[in-house]
Amino acid sequence: MNPNPLEKLLQQPAPPPDPAARVAARRAALAEFARVQSAPVADSAQSRGFFQALWARWRLSRESNSHGRDSMPWYSRRMLLGGAASICIALVGGMVVWQTLQQDPRITELQVAETAHESHPAPEPEPYDAQSSAASTSATASTEAAEPDVVIAQEAAATAASANEQAQAAEHELARQAAERSKDEQQARAVVAPMAKSQGPAVEGTEEVVVGGLRESLANMMEAKRDTGGAADAVTSADIGAMPDTSVSEALQRVPGVAVAKVAPGSPPAPPPVPGTYREEGRDRFEQFEINPVKQVAEEPVSTFSADVDTSSYSFVRGQLNQGVLPQKDAVRSEEMINYFDYAWPVPESRERPFQPTVVVSDSPWKKGRKLIHVGIKGYELPANSRPDANLVLLLDVSGSMNSPDKLPLVKQSMRLLLGSLKKTDTVGIVVYAGAAGVVLEPTPVGDQEKIVAALDRLEAGGSTAGGEGIELAYQLAEKTFRKGAVNRIMLCTDGDFNVGIDSTQELKGFVERKREKGIFLSVLGFGQGNYRDELAQALAQNGNGVAAYIDTLGEARKVLVEEAGSSLFTIARDVKLQVEFNPATVAEYRLIGYETRALKREDFNNDAVDAGDIGAGHTVTAIYEITPVGVDARTVDESRYSKKIERPHVDKGGKAGEYGFLKIRYKLPGENQSRLIEKPIVPTGEKVSAEVRRDVTFSTAVAGFAQLLRGGTYTGAWTYEDAMAQAQSSLGDDAFGYRREFVQLVRKAQAARGL
Amino acid sequence: MDENALIRRAQAGDATAFGELLDLHYDTIFRFAWKWCRHRVNAEDVAQLACIKLANSLTQYRFQAAFASWLYRLVISCAQDWQRSQKRHEHDELHENLPRDDETQTEDQIYLEQLLDELADLGEGMKETALLVHAEGMSHAEAGVVLGVSESTISWRIHVIRRHMGKREARVGEGA
Repeated sequence: MNPNPLEKLLQQPAPPPDPAARVAARRAALAEFARVQSAPVADSAQSRGFFQALWARWRLSRESNSHGRDSMPWYSRRMLLGGAASICIALVGGMVVWQTLQQDPRITELQVAETAHESHPAPEPEPYDAQSSAASTSATASTEAAEPDVVIAQEAAATAASANEQAQAAEHELARQAAERSKDEQQARAVVAPMAKSQGPAVEGTEEVVVGGLRESLANMMEAKRDTGGAADAVTSADIGAMPDTSVSEALQRVPGVAVAKVAPGSPPAPPPVPGTYREEGRDRFEQFEINPVKQVAEEPVSTFSADVDTSSYSFVRGQLNQGVLPQKDAVRSEEMINYFDYAWPVPESRERPFQPTVVVSDSPWKKGRKLIHVGIKGYELPANSRPDANLVLLLDVSGSMNSPDKLPLVKQSMRLLLGSLKKTDTVGIVVYAGAAGVVLEPTPVGDQEKIVAALDRLEAGGSTAGGEGIELAYQLAEKTFRKGAVNRIMLCTDGDFNVGIDSTQELKGFVERKREKGIFLSVLGFGQGNYRDELAQALAQNGNGVAAYIDTLGEARKVLVEEAGSSLFTIARDVKLQVEFNPATVAEYRLIGYETRALKREDFNNDAVDAGDIGAGHTVTAIYEITPVGVDARTVDESRYSKKIERPHVDKGGKAGEYGFLKIRYKLPGENQSRLIEKPIVPTGEKVSAEVRRDVTFSTAVAGFAQLLRGGTYTGAWTYEDAMAQAQSSLGDDAFGYRREFVQLVRKAQAARGL
Repeated sequence: MDENALIRRAQAGDATAFGELLDLHYDTIFRFAWKWCRHRVNAEDVAQLACIKLANSLTQYRFQAAFASWLYRLVISCAQDWQRSQKRHEHDELHENLPRDDETQTEDQIYLEQLLDELADLGEGMKETALLVHAEGMSHAEAGVVLGVSESTISWRIHVIRRHMGKREARVGEGA
């Protein structure tokens, strides 16, 4: 639909080559070939001729431009050639002097050096001094590494020139000639070749001028790369100090593609976080929302929202409180806190009707006279043998930010737990993403557990994060192994930090949504703190028909991945929407606790195209309304002086008159596109329910109150943490896994944290 | 004639064999060079540089990768060198006044040049990847061999390029 113009343009054919150019290139190459063949490369670097050393320098100064150090104007090249020529001539001169001195045995070598220094300021022509001159040149090069080579050449040229007037004249002549010819690079090469031949005999036997330091290191590095046909990269350094880096690892990073992480793999893990100590914080991001206000039934009698079975908010809040910090307000979503706990709502019997709502009315603990309406739903449990197969693709974040004990190591442990709760016929594939995304494990049956565990164990954290690409790769893998009739799901484990790659949440959401249509769902498991992007995790899971859970401890991993594996993996009802219409004759005001981020428009309820929350096997969803019945002196807003008369007519509506309201639930069965409807009136007495349910109503009220307190307690009146604790204590029940007791501890911690 | 035998002869110093080798591959070299710089004269320069470099480094070819891959690598390295030298000369008027190829200077070409520049700015290896995959029609694996990176890196780069193009389209769309 969107043809890539780049591809189209690039596929345009190139024009045929010009025969003249072809001939020219052929001739030049053949000449070079002949040169190379006639001057085979010597065996050892030591015996490289002077000319070749100069040649290396020439190339070096060209290459060094890539490091942005300098640009080499054309006249410098002239100077370089001129300098080279002058050095050659000076050397010839030196040979002559040496020859003369040889003929006079009475003069000692020491005197030679002195004489040379007196008559020629430059030591260059002296073969005896060649060593020291090399050293000094080398020193110049290393101290002034930033200077172009040309400077050295110019110096050499200048000193050599002052040594010999005649040589200078010759040098100028040569330089001029060279400059004339050096207009073209290839021509220059051709010029130098015969020079090398003619100078060869004279030059042989002199010491090579070695330019050391950074420049040499870079040269060697490039030389090493140049000589290989395959993929190679190299860094050489004569000594540690040659690279302008403070450490060897920094120097290593000069090699493209090498990233040195601050924490080397295999180094001892960071100590577990101690409560109260500093941790990276403040960058966790949550969707901001205002809590639901009190609504007047006369003005807005209908409340519509989507079911939400996520529980990540509770885990996050728990993580914060366990560190002795009150969570930021936006991290507290009342409905997720409430839904974290399992309630004993009656379970339906058949899959045809995946759940049935229960409505319980109780007194509000927060304000005398108000009532609470609990709407409880529990999805039926799938018996283990009737579970469909699962085709899971684990998408794991292995970026550097996951390198913390509560992140990648916890992910690995959690995934092992998950393996334990899967059937042998289920398949698991693993995709990781960091700087780039890659498939670590092709989908493998759970029966082959060792292979999966081995793949998990190999994972290490490092690099930056590109969550978007990873998601695409994971979907590709899931599509490749798509199993009809099975649950095809991607489980994304991340610290929520998608810092590279896809930049718009919208784009990513759209992508996930399109894949959802193809039957591949996405669940998000959040790990770690400090950088958690809750709003993105929520958005992705919502769009991917999945669950967003936040895992802060192994115990939480067990809860989500083992005990609730069924609900996390197997959806029994999709797009579950709830709508309550209140009766203005009996209810004056109402307020929905939580579900702020799940609110729907009234008209969306009957629109099957509007997406909403999904319910997995065994999930419980609880919504709590706080209402003020008509005639009770507990209203937040004074009664309207004028509109009262308009409300009255409703009173005479037969049997419906006494109802508080009417509950409607729409849902789709998996694989269906038409929604089904469940309806139920809300009567002031509520339904007759078991003692267990009564107890759970009390407990959920305590949780709801606690959540509201954490968000500032706008509507909880004089109710305090103590009340929350007492109420929760009184409704612990058998609490097989200790979650409710943990909740009581959390309230205590919140109380303590508030005091700080 | 077997290409490897030809290369061996050339490596041993047979100028005729080397000439044949050149004749065989000059078209490929020139085509890629042209795609790189989109300019006949420059492409000829790059192609010539590549031929000279081939003469220099043919002995280093060790038959580990396909000769074509190795050759691509060599041409790319020449083209990169050439580009660097062009940047160095940017302030000389020499190239600015150089007459453009009339045959290639359509609107599309200007657009494409702009695109390629953007790709080069996008990151190391992006332009090379785009040329090898889209222009030369290589598979990701082949391009990976030429550029000395893994196949998945190429896929990743192609993806980045596509996304860049997508964004660009979107931007243009908004602007229009």
